[in-house]
Amino acid sequence: MIRLDKVAKVYEGGVVAAREVDMNINKGEFVFLVGPSGSGKSTLIRLCLREEKVTKGRIWVAGKDITRLPGWKVPHLRRTVGTVFQDFKLLPNKTVAENVAFALKVIGRPRSIVNRQVPQVLELVGLSAKANRYPRQLSGGEQQRVSIARAFVNRPPILLADEPTGNLDPATSVGIMRLLDRINLTGTTVVMATHDHAIVDAMQKRVVRLNRGRIEQDQSGAGYESRAAPAGT
Amino acid sequence: MRNFLYLIGEAFTNLRRNVLVVAAAVVAVFVSLTLAFGALVFNELVRTTTLQWQAGNHMIIFLHDIGGAAAHDEMLERVGGFEEVERVFYVDKNDAFEEYTQMFARGSPGMLEIVDRTDLPASIRVELSDLSQYQAVQLRLVGDPLVRRISIVSEGIERLLNLTGVLSAIGVGLVLVLGSASVVLIANTIRMAIYARREEISIMKLVGAGNWFIRVPFLLEGSIEGLLGGGLAVGAVLAGHQFLGQLPSDSLIQFQVSGDFLLRWGVLVLLFGGAAGFLGSALGLRRFLKV
Repeated sequence: MIRLDKVAKVYEGGVVAAREVDMNINKGEFVFLVGPSGSGKSTLIRLCLREEKVTKGRIWVAGKDITRLPGWKVPHLRRTVGTVFQDFKLLPNKTVAENVAFALKVIGRPRSIVNRQVPQVLELVGLSAKANRYPRQLSGGEQQRVSIARAFVNRPPILLADEPTGNLDPATSVGIMRLLDRINLTGTTVVMATHDHAIVDAMQKRVVRLNRGRIEQDQSGAGYESRAAPAGT
Repeated sequence: MRNFLYLIGEAFTNLRRNVLVVAAAVVAVFVSLTLAFGALVFNELVRTTTLQWQAGNHMIIFLHDIGGAAAHDEMLERVGGFEEVERVFYVDKNDAFEEYTQMFARGSPGMLEIVDRTDLPASIRVELSDLSQYQAVQLRLVGDPLVRRISIVSEGIERLLNLTGVLSAIGVGLVLVLGSASVVLIANTIRMAIYARREEISIMKLVGAGNWFIRVPFLLEGSIEGLLGGGLAVGAVLAGHQFLGQLPSDSLIQFQVSGDFLLRWGVLVLLFGGAAGFLGSALGLRRFLKV
């Protein structure tokens, strides 16, 4: 579903965020990207979204080589990839339902589909009763649920989450992780960058540890600090 | 079509949400285009007025009707004999009415209805051999019962006449500079609007909105701002023109330009406003909306 082949990313000023990264994520997998700040987790997410271009190497997302994707095709790529961020990125002047519907409207989905899918996904994230509230009227956890609903409403085959629990308390984080797990069970590939040891330890999924832009460890069914196997196993 | 209606809706929502920024853009276009359109009208005023002067009407001696044609002939002969006078010709009531008709038929047909053929005075048009001598001619005629009024092209006006070309160039230059200024101002305003909404735009990009989906509301927004500013500018210039038209005018200086001219240029200024808004938005968007 996602393949990185000798990917390197050097930012202006010579800051190296990724070095020779090789990674293969299969359909339906749940993968944690872990590592200290500056290790390159967010960069890999941004590269997979084509928010940044690779300096070297190639990336395939949903079967397409996105390193050679012309700019005008990038929006099409992003329609196949749902994204969730630490700061929720909700539109403050739109209600919960409008925020979710926005993701369908911008890709030209007919109103009938919008009217059907938005309530469905709000029910999935447990926010049906708050469909007409504005983001400022919601708690952090609820805002993140809206963000997940928006990422998932289009039923993308891939969901990328960059520190989705970073602004939430532990109890709320558990709720968000259950939600992401349910989404993963529908067959959606989930890639999540996180610092949260407890979550990674509790979920026991594949963990890719990054350090200074390199993959230090890649192990399935692992915890945050697990060092049982070398990278690539 | 459904998408386009959605985008129009978004453009109007944006206009409503950013009233102050929109007002700034509209005022900027309004001021620029009012000055530009005003310069065009001024140019036209100079052109039409000087057309008359260029015909050599340095002095116009308006005559009373007393004494009939014989008295007028005698006066024509007398004035023609002055040493300072190069050439004279007589404009009778009919010719005066024709001249008046030509002057106002295009722009203010209403003014034709309020004047009768017999209302306008006959006159003697005088071309002087040396403009500085106009006072000598004037002094000889002051107090003559046949003379109703004397209009004179002063030396200052003569110099102005010589400057017509320069004034026209300045007018055209003003139109170009202020027109470009309005494009730049709209571009800046749209940039401000984009900057204010960069978060929203980044979210639109993240959820897969195409470039045009993001751009169209801004382009519509700029065009609407330009059209509003242009419309206000046309309104202001027409109002100013109307006001000047009501001032008592000398027959040597016209404060009226033709309605045709105003209509043609008014529509063009309006369209220019819209186009400037579109272009300004396009320029403003160029750098900010790369994927």
